[in-house]
Amino acid sequence: MRTSAITKRPVVTLDGEDVAQIKDVVYSAGGGAVGGFTLAGRGLFAGPLKQGLAWSSVAALGSDAVMIADEDALEPTQSVLDRSASTGGSGGDILGSQVLTDSGTDLGTVVDVIVEVSGADSGQCDVVGYEVEASQALGTKGTKVLIPLPDAVAASGEHLIVPASAKDFVGQDLAGFGAAVEAFRAQLRGQG
Amino acid sequence: MRFSEAKGRKVVSTSTADAVGKVDEFVVDPKAQAVLALVLAKTDSGHTLRWVDIAAFGTDAVTVTGADKITEADEDVAALTGKDHRLLGKRVLSTAGDELGKVSDVEFDGESGAVTSLVLDEGEVAGTRLVGVGSYAVVVMAE
Repeated sequence: MRTSAITKRPVVTLDGEDVAQIKDVVYSAGGGAVGGFTLAGRGLFAGPLKQGLAWSSVAALGSDAVMIADEDALEPTQSVLDRSASTGGSGGDILGSQVLTDSGTDLGTVVDVIVEVSGADSGQCDVVGYEVEASQALGTKGTKVLIPLPDAVAASGEHLIVPASAKDFVGQDLAGFGAAVEAFRAQLRGQG
Repeated sequence: MRFSEAKGRKVVSTSTADAVGKVDEFVVDPKAQAVLALVLAKTDSGHTLRWVDIAAFGTDAVTVTGADKITEADEDVAALTGKDHRLLGKRVLSTAGDELGKVSDVEFDGESGAVTSLVLDEGEVAGTRLVGVGSYAVVVMAE
């Protein structure tokens, strides 16, 4: 799913109380996974909260709400950020970054991040791709396309480096994108 | 029996044969997945009738042994009473975070008070899947 679709989603306890809503996604593992979320209060005029939500405390990420066991799942935002940053790389600021292939071709700028929950029990929330506004190199300049990512990416906050072969697995919409990511990663493993 | 049918039903004391109240609302304990108490209207004193104090939940009337069974809400009942804990009209979320619809009615067992199913705009959810009821949503176990 697109992370832009996750923001503003309510955070609901199993007791049915909406304790917050998602403000932003915190990336960990050098941008390869979702480490947690920063939160805002519920309601139109509510500001950001001092509390954040680590991915490990998320019970389920559904299409209409992010479920948590109870309010104890929340923790100070800083500790969520610290823990995500400590796993390496500069996770934040992916949006607007330029996507470069390792052979130096500009594929476009990131407009959205595609994530997928892998494994049972919300094992991990993987970043599987980027939605980019395509550059000339993709032959569809100006349109939005989906680029699959390898398990690990190098990100600097300005540039993101992907293998050149990612170009061959570009998708147009989310349906079937999961398969493209699989195929792309399988091909990379074959090379390695 | 459904909440919508049972609401408004009169409550009659078997000792005096007087109507001592009218069913106004249901207090549901989501942990027990059952009706914990009834909130009554048109009573002389107090508004709460605990499920265990009901003599019979009949098709035409609810009977109690005496008006003294109708009391002020105890702490546990009060904690589950009010808009935030009401089921009707509330959105239903699964524990997987997906919205299933809105509660349009609730089916319960007239003997035990157990919630047998939640009736949604589309389809039903078994009462045994009930996890929690809060101000935002009714949470049910994902299938």
